[in-house]
Amino acid sequence: MLSPALKGPLLRGIRSLASRKMYIFAMVAVPLGVTLFFLTLMGEGLPLRTPVGIVDLDHSQMSRQVTRALNAGELLEIRHDYESYGDAMEAVRRGDIFGFFVIPHDFQRDAIGGDTPTLSFCTNMTYFVPGTLSFKGFKTVAVTTAGSVVKTTLVGTGMADDTAQSLLQPVVPQVNPIGNPWTNYNIYLTNSFMPALLQLMIMLVTIYSISFEIKEGTSVEWLADARGSIIRALLGKLLPQTAVFLAVGMCILGMLFGFAHFPLHGSVWAMALAMALLVVASQAMGLFFVSILPNPRLALSVASLTGILTFSIAAFSFPVESMYGPVAIFSYILPVRYYFLIYVNEALNGVALYYSRYYFAALLVFPLVASTMLWRLKRACMKPVYVP
Amino acid sequence: MNGITKWFIQLGKAFRQEMSTVIHDAGVLLFFIGLPVLYPLVYTAIYNPEEVREIPFAVVDHCRSAESRRLVRQADATSAMKLYDYAPDMQSARALMAEGKVYGIMEIPSDYSKCIMTGRQATVPFYAEMSLLLRYRAFLSALTDLQLHITQEVTAGRLASAGAAAPPISGLPINTQANILGDTQQGFASFIMPGIVVLILQQSMVLGICLIGGTAAERRRRNAPLAYSTDMASNGPMATILGKALCYVVFYIPVTIYILHYIPTWFDLPHIGNPADYLLLMMPFLLASAFFGIMLGNLMRQREDAFIYIVFTSVVFLFLSGLTWPRFAMPGLWHALAGAIPATWGVEGFIRINSNGATLAESSEPFLWLWGLAAAYLAACYAIARITARGRRANRSH
Repeated sequence: MLSPALKGPLLRGIRSLASRKMYIFAMVAVPLGVTLFFLTLMGEGLPLRTPVGIVDLDHSQMSRQVTRALNAGELLEIRHDYESYGDAMEAVRRGDIFGFFVIPHDFQRDAIGGDTPTLSFCTNMTYFVPGTLSFKGFKTVAVTTAGSVVKTTLVGTGMADDTAQSLLQPVVPQVNPIGNPWTNYNIYLTNSFMPALLQLMIMLVTIYSISFEIKEGTSVEWLADARGSIIRALLGKLLPQTAVFLAVGMCILGMLFGFAHFPLHGSVWAMALAMALLVVASQAMGLFFVSILPNPRLALSVASLTGILTFSIAAFSFPVESMYGPVAIFSYILPVRYYFLIYVNEALNGVALYYSRYYFAALLVFPLVASTMLWRLKRACMKPVYVP
Repeated sequence: MNGITKWFIQLGKAFRQEMSTVIHDAGVLLFFIGLPVLYPLVYTAIYNPEEVREIPFAVVDHCRSAESRRLVRQADATSAMKLYDYAPDMQSARALMAEGKVYGIMEIPSDYSKCIMTGRQATVPFYAEMSLLLRYRAFLSALTDLQLHITQEVTAGRLASAGAAAPPISGLPINTQANILGDTQQGFASFIMPGIVVLILQQSMVLGICLIGGTAAERRRRNAPLAYSTDMASNGPMATILGKALCYVVFYIPVTIYILHYIPTWFDLPHIGNPADYLLLMMPFLLASAFFGIMLGNLMRQREDAFIYIVFTSVVFLFLSGLTWPRFAMPGLWHALAGAIPATWGVEGFIRINSNGATLAESSEPFLWLWGLAAAYLAACYAIARITARGRRANRSH
């Protein structure tokens, strides 16, 4: 069934993959190892119990109530009671705590006496996630403390309990996060960063394996093996890699949606198809780079640059519509951007496949674009020149 | 000539040789200069908009009253939210979301105005799309602010209309005040850039050194076993390693000043630290990165291997540095591994000095760790050099 013209190049491709441990490292160990790294690093989902401090200058019954309320939530853990604002600030600068809550002198007396004391808190936003979470924890306690005092006052004047509550909060917006109700960072980051890392490794391995023939001067022989057809030569070299990357990609999907039970509200086949297309599209992207720049170092440099910027520019954290226009268009030349959009639709939100039709189609464009540049690669292979 | 003088001459020779290697290798220059100069510019170009604004949302208004329209107008007026359209029912609103036209749906219940009028509490569900946490967070904080705003408005009105029953309070009995330190505008570039630039310093240096390491390995194989003498033979290993590391550090001093001082200044990122403090912190950081790179450079067999072995580690090191996922929440193994990476301490120390205005004394933990790592990686380089030198001598005598 396998045509003899393809058998030679295929065997050559498999042999060269087996020739260096580096390939196993880059194709299997890195993608699977880093997946495990992400899954275990962020296993908690949300970094709870952010270390914070308190400056209690009142030491009253009410201030102790506030302290207990701060510690009772899952977001904060009070590590230390500081003597003064300055001490607490120094602890923030040292990095011992990510923020602190200040209860002023005579807080209880002023609150009950109607003298409007001020509860203040500081959060260190230089570390975004703990900063945000401690801000949320502090604000909740500050607002509920204020609220409960008002409510006590209102009920004290003879108002009904629920009337007082509605007076405090006449409108309550109830925000429901769809698909990831726990705001789990593991789900959010691993689902986007892992495919981007896979894309990077696929591009690098594709370029490395092709340009190595040029570097070693064996590209002429490589083409001759394939009876002068660059397509046959590439199929022989890349198909074995496709097979390995497909297996690794499916393993990653298994680890995310099976082992880690990440939300998969749509069809698992849609995700498998998206992963398969991502693998091929990333290979095509690598092939495109090495055809344009048939020099190992330059092609690998461009692929590394693209691959690393992918993590920012594919808009996994900062949305593409908030970027400047000329920057944002680069998002759409990356295979993993389309994989990510399919993931959001099919796994996270579980909408009909219909909505992802363009994204699947876009992934198919990459091999087509790469195929237009093969003549350049062939020319370079016939007259291999290695520039270090 | 006594031993010490000879040693210093060897050191100087290694330094000069390495400098000439670096300057004559376009690939290394690209890593040592091109990468740290261009990457921060590209990153700020990506993240410079800082905030997420005008996120489109849809409204399903079951109430259709003056009050509900007022709520929608107020939501639309926030900087984070922008009304895309009214949808007749939840199904069509969900279709808008599936098409990526909106990222949130506000569903106003039919008794909304009634609740407001009769003094009952009204609940307004809001459904947020969760592909990007930044959008969710923007919605959440906009709606919380909106809630506080409405509360003041409605409560003031109600208290006024309650007349005689109004309790004897003016405003809330307790004020709350939030102070944000470091990244005061909570902008994305201001948060991520000070950390990223330090990581770029380490990674570009390690990439360049590994490129040199791979090239040297190729050359050794080509010339073996005749001329392995190029680096290690005439010089002692310690002088060679220190000479090389000094060369990299000297090369990186202008780059470091550019990336840590000029980038934050030009792009108006947080930058309140004392230059003396963070530049002193960078001394052990650059040394530790150089030794770390020289150690890894021994693993390279081909010139291009650096791309395969080093590039992906940037992602891992970014996470280990605690910039995205805080270190206190890391499992023990990863916490320990993070402690062995120079960038972890470089990022932490620099952020505290640069964004929080800490002094070097207050950043003594990262500072000491960096010196410790520099010593540990120097020892590792020395051990590797001794072992490989012995191996090569043995090969040659065969």
